[in-house]
Amino acid sequence: MSLPNISRVSASGLLRSSCDLRWLLRSVAPLAAPRRALTHMGYRRPGQPREDRPPWWRVKFDLAKGLKGMKRHFKLLKEEFFAPFVGPMGKPIIEHMLEQNQVLWEFRGPHSLQEWTISCDREIGGKSEIYLKVGRNNESCLLYGTLCSDPPKDGETRYSGYCTMRSKQPLASFDRKKYHDWSSFNTLHLRVRGDGRPWMINIVPETYYTHQKDDMYSYFLYTRGGPYWQDVKIPFSKFFLAHRGRIQDDQHPVWLDKINSIGFTLGDKADGPFQLEIDFIGVCKDYAHTEDFAYEKYKRNPEV
Amino acid sequence: MAPLIYSALIISLGLGTTMTFASTHWYLAWMGIEINTLAIIPLMAQNHIPRAIEATTKYFFVQATASATLLFAGISNAFLTGQWDITYTPYTLTSTLITLALAMKIGLAPLHSWMPEVMQGLNLLTGLILSTWQKLAPLYLIYQIQPNNPNIFIALGLMSIIVGGWGGFNQVQLRKILAYSSIAHLGWMILILSFSPPLALLTIIIYILMTFSLFSSFMLTRTTHINSLSTTWAKIPILTISTPLILLSLGGLPPLAGFMPKWMILQELTKQSLCPLATMAALSSLFSLYFYLRLSYAMTLTMPPNNPAGTLPWRLNPQHNTLPLALTTTSTICLLPMTPAIMSLMPF
Repeated sequence: MSLPNISRVSASGLLRSSCDLRWLLRSVAPLAAPRRALTHMGYRRPGQPREDRPPWWRVKFDLAKGLKGMKRHFKLLKEEFFAPFVGPMGKPIIEHMLEQNQVLWEFRGPHSLQEWTISCDREIGGKSEIYLKVGRNNESCLLYGTLCSDPPKDGETRYSGYCTMRSKQPLASFDRKKYHDWSSFNTLHLRVRGDGRPWMINIVPETYYTHQKDDMYSYFLYTRGGPYWQDVKIPFSKFFLAHRGRIQDDQHPVWLDKINSIGFTLGDKADGPFQLEIDFIGVCKDYAHTEDFAYEKYKRNPEV
Repeated sequence: MAPLIYSALIISLGLGTTMTFASTHWYLAWMGIEINTLAIIPLMAQNHIPRAIEATTKYFFVQATASATLLFAGISNAFLTGQWDITYTPYTLTSTLITLALAMKIGLAPLHSWMPEVMQGLNLLTGLILSTWQKLAPLYLIYQIQPNNPNIFIALGLMSIIVGGWGGFNQVQLRKILAYSSIAHLGWMILILSFSPPLALLTIIIYILMTFSLFSSFMLTRTTHINSLSTTWAKIPILTISTPLILLSLGGLPPLAGFMPKWMILQELTKQSLCPLATMAALSSLFSLYFYLRLSYAMTLTMPPNNPAGTLPWRLNPQHNTLPLALTTTSTICLLPMTPAIMSLMPF
């Protein structure tokens, strides 16, 4: 894929642009995969031209689309209003109490891919590729691509080589943020079929008020290369806290009541093609698993 | 937390509320409330987990906003009236501002949104302090100002009862349910405050007794989710009997003590010829009763879907003192026959 032409910006232009709020916008090379929404400040590759158009020029005004959107949002609002009459979160209380398993994402057709977004280091100028499609017979999803660890030649990026798939933030009516509440469960259950590569499962909770937006809880997913499916059950007590990829000293178990997204990342520095097939992702309550947290919590002032 | 620091914070909490109780000047009252806020912040954030930090941040923002509004209203009142006395608020603008600031402080609807989120991030002990002790100083100030027009209190009260009931419908987290319960009970207190302040005092005393016993029960069984209530029978069987009674008392069912304040409030509202208001309040509290019943059902009438023989825990002696729980539970369940005695003690 060719990169856009890099235009030289004059010194006066740089000075002007440094005072301009348009530096918040970034221009990236188009990917084969759907782009992530710009919820956080993005990375602009050095030398890439800045986006000239203000945000309001980039919106396509369409009355029919707007009306359709309003209808959808009001329908969601109506469902949210009447859901408590059935029970908490629209489910009867007896279901909340008795459920031991809940399938969150089941890949059974193209519509199931809408809730996921993929990304790779191509956004920062790398050479990896990632694609997501529905598996055979609409029974799974296939995440595949090529990993390449060559860093982009921009003079500042030193490491590269990652591919990731992440669930989108669930949204309520009028695009309000909604969260997954997995507090009734203690284990993550996946049915996957991999190619022997080690993946990292990342759980991202709500981090707006803690100002730690790069906090995530991670654990490993080792896949077998065989033709047989793999049932992976990972207790949530095993997930450790990392910030921007760095494991923190002050560890604590993940709070499951406000989860924004879950993701799978490949970054094993082994260049070449990869494949991961996922049947479903769910959570379950394993009554035999009584561990609160698998790691030692860092105590700054230990009692002697 | 180091015991010395912990003691200092607890003493500061007591100091703040006492300072507000003892003050007649707006500055001193405001200072007492600020000391309260600042003392509970480290208690909330003592666990360095994101949810606790989130709760602390939200609590701080809300309380700071309310304190700033309160100070502004107090200074405006002093500017207009020429004096700093808390009880003298003849101007509607300043008394309304003060009322709204204090309503935000205690979490009355429509300024209640912070309460469930904050409670969810705290441990049960800090949540108990937030639900009970932190309400005393602002309620005292609300009691002092006594606005000329009680409509604002009626509006806040009724809205809180409805919102407190409706919000609890959708919850499975116990702390959020207790937050909405707190909002609903505060609604009852505010509703009657302008007509009969001693009844509001009675309501808050009974509410503190009931909430303390409920929080203590949950602390003993370490439950924070409605699912884990169903395993209480295996941990402490006696709580399986007493906690539903506490919950029904919170719901205001006779012959439990929680019926007492609701009965008296409805009687007083009827005497004041506010029958429609009394009817609406009584009907709105049915929402709250529904989720209390749901908790009672989960605790007493359900079994968890696991093999009981494999999960019975050891019944060890409780590590912490259960005497306060015993006393408050007994009061919550058995205090209703004492109503005539309590009424005679009330300064009507």
